[in-house]
Amino acid sequence: MKLLVQLSWRNLWRQRRRNGMMLMAILVAVGSLVFTNALIRGYQYDMLEDAILNLSGHVKVLAPGYRNDPSAESNFTVPGQFHPDIGPEHLFGWTSRVVVPAVIISERETRGIQLVGIDPADEQNMSFLAKATIEGTMLSSPDDKGVLVGKKLVDQLNTKLGRRIVLITQGADGLNREAGFRIVGTYDASGTSVEKMFVFAGRETLQTLLGTSAVTELSVRLVSEKNEIQVKEALQAQFPDLEVLDWKELQPQAGAMFEFSDATILIWFVIMASALAFGLVNTLITGVMERVRELGMFRALGMRPNAVLLQVMIESILIVVVGLLGGLIIGYMLVIWMSGGIDLSEFSQGLEMIGIRSVVVPRLLVQDIVQVSVLTTVLGFLASLYPAVKAVRIRPLDALRK
Amino acid sequence: MNVVVRCESLCRTYQEDAYPVKALDEVSFQVNDGEFVSLAGPSGSGKSTLLNLIGGLDRPTSGEVYLGETRLNDLDATHLSDLRLFELGFIFQDYNLIPVLNALENVEFTMQLQGVSAKERTDRALATLESLGLGDLAHRRPSELSGGQQQRVAIARAIVTRPRVLLADEPSANLDSKSTEGLLVLLQNLNREQGVTIITATHDPMVMRYARRRVQLVDGHIDADESAET
Repeated sequence: MKLLVQLSWRNLWRQRRRNGMMLMAILVAVGSLVFTNALIRGYQYDMLEDAILNLSGHVKVLAPGYRNDPSAESNFTVPGQFHPDIGPEHLFGWTSRVVVPAVIISERETRGIQLVGIDPADEQNMSFLAKATIEGTMLSSPDDKGVLVGKKLVDQLNTKLGRRIVLITQGADGLNREAGFRIVGTYDASGTSVEKMFVFAGRETLQTLLGTSAVTELSVRLVSEKNEIQVKEALQAQFPDLEVLDWKELQPQAGAMFEFSDATILIWFVIMASALAFGLVNTLITGVMERVRELGMFRALGMRPNAVLLQVMIESILIVVVGLLGGLIIGYMLVIWMSGGIDLSEFSQGLEMIGIRSVVVPRLLVQDIVQVSVLTTVLGFLASLYPAVKAVRIRPLDALRK
Repeated sequence: MNVVVRCESLCRTYQEDAYPVKALDEVSFQVNDGEFVSLAGPSGSGKSTLLNLIGGLDRPTSGEVYLGETRLNDLDATHLSDLRLFELGFIFQDYNLIPVLNALENVEFTMQLQGVSAKERTDRALATLESLGLGDLAHRRPSELSGGQQQRVAIARAIVTRPRVLLADEPSANLDSKSTEGLLVLLQNLNREQGVTIITATHDPMVMRYARRRVQLVDGHIDADESAET
């Protein structure tokens, strides 16, 4: 084996220009693959984070029928001593909310919104409010009498901080309720659609308006999405009569986009790898054809056919492994270089519609490096098969006559 | 005397432009242990074909080839490779050294294939190179050696494994007369002092003079087979 590796390594140096070009192609392909994967992952995990923080959480408990008719009538009570039956190492936070559709009326405009009753302390771990820029004040407690309105919605309503608005919604008894609230704060979240959609009030204040002490949802945020299934099962056991759903079920479009990103990474790899494979096969075939006489001589001197096969394959694997390592380093350096994020704010409105933030920060996952490494090595192996078989088929006598 | 090579009714027909060409026609021939045989004849007489069949590089159309008791016709590609590796030594007209290896590594090559340990390999290769007057050139690549030196490295590679039979196809074809003489003295010494059986295909009269037995081939037949004192 040492002999074969030695021969293969030195053969690579015989055609420095050709093999150098091939090596460059692998470097560029692997480097760009790693960087592109990191960008897609960045976008994918931003999307996941947005979905989680936009009040979904990783797992949510809802009353049956709430998804079809999200009103205060579809509610449930959370026991006083309740705590999710999840290990503290997996639990990032949890909260219960009252979420109902409502109409908000300013002195000039009217809009349809989602009215959300929250415990402000819980939301620090649960929603985008923790990161949002707030003008005025944040709600102070579940019985705060003010409301927190998105900056864009304030613009649409043609009102401003400190002014009063009226909220009309349907109570737990099915009758319309309305009340006046003062805008105590406006929030600036990264997505304008979020700012236009959610109006926050104190949970107890909203319960009083709706005439109920129940909630419409219990939301759980996890440390990692990998534990979703166990957590779902645990919550279902605690709330056997209620619906327990994960974020992909609650936001199927975002869930589909998340999985599509996985597929995109694989498709992108296959496209790059196919182009690379043709180049590699061509380089190796040329190398074999140039060395027909030499390979025939190896056979004449007693090298077994499978050793010839192995020698050509080792050549391929060597060039691929060197290219792979270099490519991984290039890709890693590109990710480090761009770790501040790529600013796409010029296209932010369009991007927001498909769930992409205006600044995409590349995210390098170990699983992607492993995937690229394994698949590229397999590619090197497969690409070498045809030239290697061609080398084995060389008859020593025919080769020596050339 | 032990018979090391035996050919019985050997025929080899090539297909050229749809016409069969008989390179060897019913050749029966044997070589005893320790002989130095030259297969002579004009181009197309079948001497290289006979050498290739004995070396297991080609298969006969009909007839049989034996190396010792082993019938070559029965062996597959892998077993033929093993036979060439352990029983035979080859010297080619164009030396056929491996360009990416230096002289020492070229000589070690076949021993590496045999699985000889690194130390023994190096010791034997260096000793063989020195015995051929190439000790100082052990670390030079083939491109840095003259034709005669390359041919001596090729001989070192062929004999270092101590083969039963050394096959040489036109070994002097690319050498000047001085180098040819040196080569032939070397082969003669190997034959006389170490008892290596040598079969060489040649049309060089000088080579024929050094051989102890001359087999003349004409049109695929053995025309004459005579022993000679050298």
